[in-house]
Amino acid sequence: MLPLIQLSGLDIHRGNRLVISEIDFELFEGEVVALVGHNGCGKTTLLESSAGMHSISSGKIQWRYDNSEMKIIRDSEGRRNSLPPMGLTLQKNGMSGEETVEERLKIALAVSGCEINDNKVSQLLTSWGLEHRKYDRISQLSGGLARRLAVLSGLAPAVMSQKPRAILLDEPSEGLDESARLLLVNWLRGLVSRGHGIILATHDPEIILAADRVIRFDEIGNVSETSQNPVSTNSELPEPVNEAEISKLSSLFRWAYRMEKRNPIDTIGRLIPAILALLMTHTLISQEEISVVGTDFFAALILLPSFICVVIPPALIPRYAEENCGRWWAAIIGPKFRMASSIIGSSIILPLPLIYISWLILSDRIDYLNNSDILAWLWLPGLVMFSVALAASSLHLLVSDLRRSSASVVSLLLLILVWPFLELIDALEMIILNGMSFGYSLDEPLSMIILSCLVSLLVWGISVYLPDA
Amino acid sequence: MVSMKHYGWALTCIGGAGVLLTAVLSYTYAPLVQSPPFRSPEAYRILFWHVPFAWTSFLAFCLLFTGAIAWFVKRKEWGWNLFCTGSDLGLLFGLGVVISGPIWGSAEWGVPWDWADLRLNTFGLLTAVALFIVLSRRSQPDGVDTRDTLSTIGLFGFALVPITAIATTFYQKRHPAVVIAQTDETGLDPKMQQVLIMGIISFWILMIGLSILTFLAYKLENKLQILLYSLDEEVVH
Repeated sequence: MLPLIQLSGLDIHRGNRLVISEIDFELFEGEVVALVGHNGCGKTTLLESSAGMHSISSGKIQWRYDNSEMKIIRDSEGRRNSLPPMGLTLQKNGMSGEETVEERLKIALAVSGCEINDNKVSQLLTSWGLEHRKYDRISQLSGGLARRLAVLSGLAPAVMSQKPRAILLDEPSEGLDESARLLLVNWLRGLVSRGHGIILATHDPEIILAADRVIRFDEIGNVSETSQNPVSTNSELPEPVNEAEISKLSSLFRWAYRMEKRNPIDTIGRLIPAILALLMTHTLISQEEISVVGTDFFAALILLPSFICVVIPPALIPRYAEENCGRWWAAIIGPKFRMASSIIGSSIILPLPLIYISWLILSDRIDYLNNSDILAWLWLPGLVMFSVALAASSLHLLVSDLRRSSASVVSLLLLILVWPFLELIDALEMIILNGMSFGYSLDEPLSMIILSCLVSLLVWGISVYLPDA
Repeated sequence: MVSMKHYGWALTCIGGAGVLLTAVLSYTYAPLVQSPPFRSPEAYRILFWHVPFAWTSFLAFCLLFTGAIAWFVKRKEWGWNLFCTGSDLGLLFGLGVVISGPIWGSAEWGVPWDWADLRLNTFGLLTAVALFIVLSRRSQPDGVDTRDTLSTIGLFGFALVPITAIATTFYQKRHPAVVIAQTDETGLDPKMQQVLIMGIISFWILMIGLSILTFLAYKLENKLQILLYSLDEEVVH
């Protein structure tokens, strides 16, 4: 029988320290494996690495897929694949306070290919004493109830699945009361009896007693393994549901949309500085000043609000930072996470209307209104501004990877986007002065727009693909 | 026995002396340019530092990018040390370019910076990337993840260098053409050329000396970190 998870010759550094050295490990169906040891010994690192969340110095991590094929999830050569359906509970809850209880559970089920059945969801929530809170935001829950939900979301993909699944739980009993801990032990044994495999990192003696194998990290970095007879329990789990199509990326996009709809900090945070810039321009700069400085200055004023709007840090970053929510999504989505996040985090809708609004407000300051090409082609720089937005968002996300990202001056990197912005200004100036033309020499507006787009996409490509390469 | 450290110091001193001598010769030996076409003929003398600064910073950025690639591919400490060395020196010499350039530009063009000039802007960006890396290295805890992220950012420059080079050749607005070899277009006086070449060689020697010393300093810093970690272990256990 192939294992559910196989780690081979794993070396992992955290900082400059070799936390895990030459570890071989396999998780089989129908067992609970407890990782035990003092603080900082590498339990969490091993657990998270099993989900492909850390880059590894040597070795490889493989998971078994539903077609019984073992696939590399991550290796030291940089190969990566998305995880098969699984359950994951991180040390922090990995949930945004903006989500509702029911949404979180449904997301956990959707990304693991379980059919969403409202009755089953209610049944799961009732089992863990959360049904009465299902429409509440997670931020309104107490710490203990939020932990219950995080653990339930980790277990639910296996509970609802007819096929054997791997479950990873980091300190699941931390913050749970006595009754919830007992429930957890019961569910662990119940899942094992259905053929699922579970790895958990814990200090809790009650949970350790529920394990079939204990892997102990000692104080000098050695790892020992013991098998034991787990405590017998009386467990009744809800019946599994049918399989559904796995919808990881669409779940992430829907999640981000719901978060923004519920609390539009991204939209408002981008709009206010852009509109302020526009109004200040309108108030402080006169027609005479524009005519003295030139058309390029006028083109810059038209594009400036939308440029300001796209370079502002996306609200997705603080959302991801809350309770390690982003790390949970990163583990679930896998290699496409960064690309998807850069699209979600960029301002897609705002730049184009902002450019037209700028034109409508400022057009009385210049005498080129007879040129119908301007209004007809203003959408083109607006569209290219989306590529600038993509690049800006990917740079913000790249810097947010740093452990002390707030201590970094991201604006130094955003300077690179001044160049595509300047190309767009040149292009718009050409359109204002001479109308739109479609030549490919460097002085033609079309080639400037293409160049601007290419530079932005180059920046986006580098910052999305290189970090995970 | 002469160690690398001694070579480093020797080259730094020789290069430094050459750089100072270049400054002296640019005033005493290099002839004055004609006005017109130069608006501010005296200001041109900054070229004897500005151009070597630019060429040397390219070398430093090459070190940075080589280090970034070496870290990604080999995951070796020397790759990271090379990356750190390149970013420090890239910032140092890059700042030399972006400070001396606007001084010359202010006198000659009447504006310190031309936002429409691709070469100026890409060079400014390269220096900004180096500044970001240096500041981030100081503010972030050292580790594989931090190194990966910063190396990625370093590779931005890798994309910027060819763009700058192409810009230098094909896409000039206000900025003068490449000034190193005498052509009909550059029309460099032989005396000017001698001082300029001396400046470039001096800056290169200075950069090699500083590279050796910086690289050795980072190597020592790593050794110190390892010793600190072993002390941590002793304290904990």
